[in-house]
Amino acid sequence: MSETAIPTLPPPRRALWPAFLRKGKAKRRSVQGIKASGFEGQLLPLLLLTPQLLILLLFFFIPAVRGLAQAFLLQDPFGQEVHFVGLENIMALLRSAEYHESLRLSVLFTIATTVLTFSVALVLAFATDRVTRGRTTYRAVLLIPYAIAPAVAGFVWAFLFNPLVGPAATFLHSLGIAWDPNRNGDDAMLLVILTASWKHLCYNYIFLVAALAAVPRSVIEAAAVDGAGPLRRFAWITFPMIAPTVFFLIIMNTVYGLFETFAIIDATTQGGPAAATSILVYKVYVDGFINLDLGSSAAQSVLLMIFAVCLTVIQFRLIERRISYEVSQ
Amino acid sequence: MATALSRRTVLAAGAAALPLFHVRTAAAAPREIKFWHAMSGVNGERLEEMTRQFNASQTEYSVTPIFKGTYDELINATVAAYRTRTQPQLVQIYERGFMTMLLSGAVVPVQELVAAHGHNINWADFIKPIAGYYTHKGKLAAMPFNSSTPILFYNKAHFAKAGFDKPAETWAALDEQLRKVKDAGGPGSIMAGDYHWSWFENYSAINDYQYATKNNGFEGLDTEFTYNRTPVVQQVGRMKRWLDDGLLQISGAGVSPTAVFTSGRSATFIASTASHSAVMAAGGLEWGAVPLPYEEGRTPRNSVIGGAVLWALRGHGQAENAGTAAFLAFSAKPETQVWWHKATGYVPATNAAYELAKREGWYKQAPTQEIAIQQLMRGEPTANSLGYRFGNFTQTMLAQREEAERSFAGQKTPQQAMDDAVSRGNEILRRFERLNAGRY
Repeated sequence: MSETAIPTLPPPRRALWPAFLRKGKAKRRSVQGIKASGFEGQLLPLLLLTPQLLILLLFFFIPAVRGLAQAFLLQDPFGQEVHFVGLENIMALLRSAEYHESLRLSVLFTIATTVLTFSVALVLAFATDRVTRGRTTYRAVLLIPYAIAPAVAGFVWAFLFNPLVGPAATFLHSLGIAWDPNRNGDDAMLLVILTASWKHLCYNYIFLVAALAAVPRSVIEAAAVDGAGPLRRFAWITFPMIAPTVFFLIIMNTVYGLFETFAIIDATTQGGPAAATSILVYKVYVDGFINLDLGSSAAQSVLLMIFAVCLTVIQFRLIERRISYEVSQ
Repeated sequence: MATALSRRTVLAAGAAALPLFHVRTAAAAPREIKFWHAMSGVNGERLEEMTRQFNASQTEYSVTPIFKGTYDELINATVAAYRTRTQPQLVQIYERGFMTMLLSGAVVPVQELVAAHGHNINWADFIKPIAGYYTHKGKLAAMPFNSSTPILFYNKAHFAKAGFDKPAETWAALDEQLRKVKDAGGPGSIMAGDYHWSWFENYSAINDYQYATKNNGFEGLDTEFTYNRTPVVQQVGRMKRWLDDGLLQISGAGVSPTAVFTSGRSATFIASTASHSAVMAAGGLEWGAVPLPYEEGRTPRNSVIGGAVLWALRGHGQAENAGTAAFLAFSAKPETQVWWHKATGYVPATNAAYELAKREGWYKQAPTQEIAIQQLMRGEPTANSLGYRFGNFTQTMLAQREEAERSFAGQKTPQQAMDDAVSRGNEILRRFERLNAGRY
């Protein structure tokens, strides 16, 4: 049997060379939508990936492996005395009440920022369609926080809500609210959640506006003609169609909350008062770079990494299955 | 001079067989000594000025000051540099990093270094709480550079309004005064960012309360904290009461406590004497300063220092070490010390420098600048007031602050908070002991 006799079967292995370098015609594959890859061969994608992989190797994999090794060592900062201590650093963390508290705060912080950021951004993005006058201004205003450095954002919010001098704090006091993030840990937590959400709002907003714009008008209009109200149209048509973006944002928000909020915490509360805002990523920094306790800090990074990976896997397992990527075709 | 120089050039050229122009610059350019520091703002400029004075005073060496960020960032940078063998000759490390540096194996004790290069420093002349803090096995391990101690600044206008000309000497009397200041419409006091240093550590030294066993760590790495069995517990309780009653305020992120005081929104400010520069620069502020309060019935002792010292790092050639030694000797000269004292508000490190500043009439001009040094020299230091020598001292301090803040927020009683601080602190001390056994 000759090969041409079964043209509908895909090739068993992907060819090394991209289509335009090979003789003969490229075969059209059946996978479509966001997940479909546009490459035919393997070499070109590999070449294109090489710089990024090199950067990852240098700045992620090598440090990560070294960090992993540190987690099992007890050593002085200058490195003259190194003891292998096995799982001791990790066990000490798992026993430590401070670490449990930090884990609890991280979960609380991450869930709160994810939910707050996403829901506010969704409302704002949904409203973008309805804003008829000054739409550009509306969008520009929403994009400003993204252009502000996290440390500056943290500092500005800390100042606004400072109980001694901040105008926002003065306003809260005038309402009879005893606002004091310098002493009250819950107030401080609320402050960093607000700051981090505000900072990340426009990231969510941009993606949601784009996703909403990609929903075909005709489908929504057809639903409207069939008598579905705005809420119903949103719940049954728009939301399922933007589900891939929603899923992506949930993952990104989780990663943001867990890893990228260091600068905001450092500028707003420095983990205080009484470690009430010392989430895991901040604790890693304090123990490693202030306390020079490299072993414990490395062990915390390892645990944080495991934690984040598990969370992402769970999210993929639970949510991604329900999502159809065949939207924009 | 010209012939000596040319002969050296020729000799060096012959020995190194390098192109002539290279050798010329080598012979003409002074040897560079890198000096990493953590002083920003005005004091950073003063530090640079000091290195310029040294560079102008001789031709063999040139000290290059390099700003590396905060004290914490600087000690990290030092660790990283040492591990990659790119360390500078001199680093400025805060007092809490003393044990880490001393036992690091990365340093040359300054007294040895300076003596080995033939400079004469009267080591016995250093002011006791300063020398005591940094002396190990009879020798200064690091050169006192910017030493300070906390004093009490106060707002004269707020005190006058309540009928007082100055703060009382004891904590109990000060408590009453601050309440009256508040009743008269005045503000509370502002808490400094490093309050643990004045309210717990200096409080214990001045009142002669034991902070930890083994003479506060001087006699061995197996030291254990004991401040949960001393009036430090009541001190935490006092802070909590003052916070509750509005007698004490926390500035928090975004606002500097110094600025709260200099803008007149605080009755008192217990802070480093180095705050003088900011306080004096504030226009329209009527202020005064007094020594720190003490507990009724106690004889007040000397306070302890804070600040930083200069460490000479290993791994440099003889000639570079000679330059490091020369700069260290220069920094300890009474003239340099007095200049530094006047320019920055840090205390002079030697008796000779203090006497010189007195003779020059500096304290007639700036009487409050003498408070810190008088407080440091008050009486003979006891085992409880000579200083603190704890490994991982930053970490034990942060644990202590965390627990104290739990008490301020009402989550724990002061006793419970300090018990927990001590047990966490002792665990941290044991970790240090384990790594450094037999090295102290």
